[in-house]
Amino acid sequence: MEEQNTMAVEALKLIREGEEEGRKLIEEAKERAAKLIKDAEEEVDRIKEKAREDAKSLAVQISDKYAKKGKEEESAIMKKAMAEVENLKSIAESNIDPAVNRVLEKILGLV
Amino acid sequence: MGAREIVERIKEEAVSEREKIISVAEKKADELIKEATAQVELQKKRVIDAEERKGVEELERIIRAARLNARKLRWAAEVEMIAKTLEEAMKRIKEVKTSGFKGNSYSAILAGLIRDATRSLTAGSSTSSGSDLEVILSEEDAPFITSDMLKNIADEISAEGVNIHLSLSDKRIKSAGGVIVRSKDGKVEVNNAFEQRLARFSANLREDIVKTLFKRG
Repeated sequence: MEEQNTMAVEALKLIREGEEEGRKLIEEAKERAAKLIKDAEEEVDRIKEKAREDAKSLAVQISDKYAKKGKEEESAIMKKAMAEVENLKSIAESNIDPAVNRVLEKILGLV
Repeated sequence: MGAREIVERIKEEAVSEREKIISVAEKKADELIKEATAQVELQKKRVIDAEERKGVEELERIIRAARLNARKLRWAAEVEMIAKTLEEAMKRIKEVKTSGFKGNSYSAILAGLIRDATRSLTAGSSTSSGSDLEVILSEEDAPFITSDMLKNIADEISAEGVNIHLSLSDKRIKSAGGVIVRSKDGKVEVNNAFEQRLARFSANLREDIVKTLFKRG
């Protein structure tokens, strides 16, 4: 009877130890899980911060691209206009005599 | 079931629970990152779209401004050439006084201007009432017109039905040339001085000048 009692106590002790070990495993798992989430949240913050910086840089790049294109277009338009003006002046110089005559006819009262 | 078996079962359940907890956490962490990445990509696309729109608008503004400047450049060239033509025409008047213009002597040109001015002044006058008019010239132009010429003009117009008397005034105008014809009482006049004619015909003249100056071929 006494031997039976001793065995029962031993068995209970083993079970308690097993339960304790199990609790520890779960506790450690919860801690690890909390760290995984915390790390992920920090990674999310890093991703968002990097995205904000990238967005600023991207905005500057796009703005620069159009500003450069604008300057090129402006330069081409003005170059073409200057050439047209030179051409206009050249045509006008060759026609200045008839134009002066037209003015004279009018102010001298001949037309 | 023995105590050892119970302990093994407890451990197995704990291990299983541990795996489940970690798996759920890993999945949640993965979702958090995926969600943030997707959000960031969407935000990036929005930034690109917005900046592209702004860029295109800015480009269009630059092009519009450049086209306007180009037009201003052409207008300035036109204005410059018109001014040069008018300036040249005024300079040529001196030459006209000595050599005439298109077969017309300067005297004949002045006579024509006097005739036109007189007709304008007498237009609508009754045939019975006469008009006593005077002709005012610049000092330089005075020698080109004689009393006989004025008489001839007056006779010519009088023959049309209105009795006209034209005389040369002692007054002088400061002008490059041309004439003023006015009633003796000074109430009505036609100013045919060249500067006045130029101002009067300015709008039409500019059109004519542009057409002539910039005619190609």
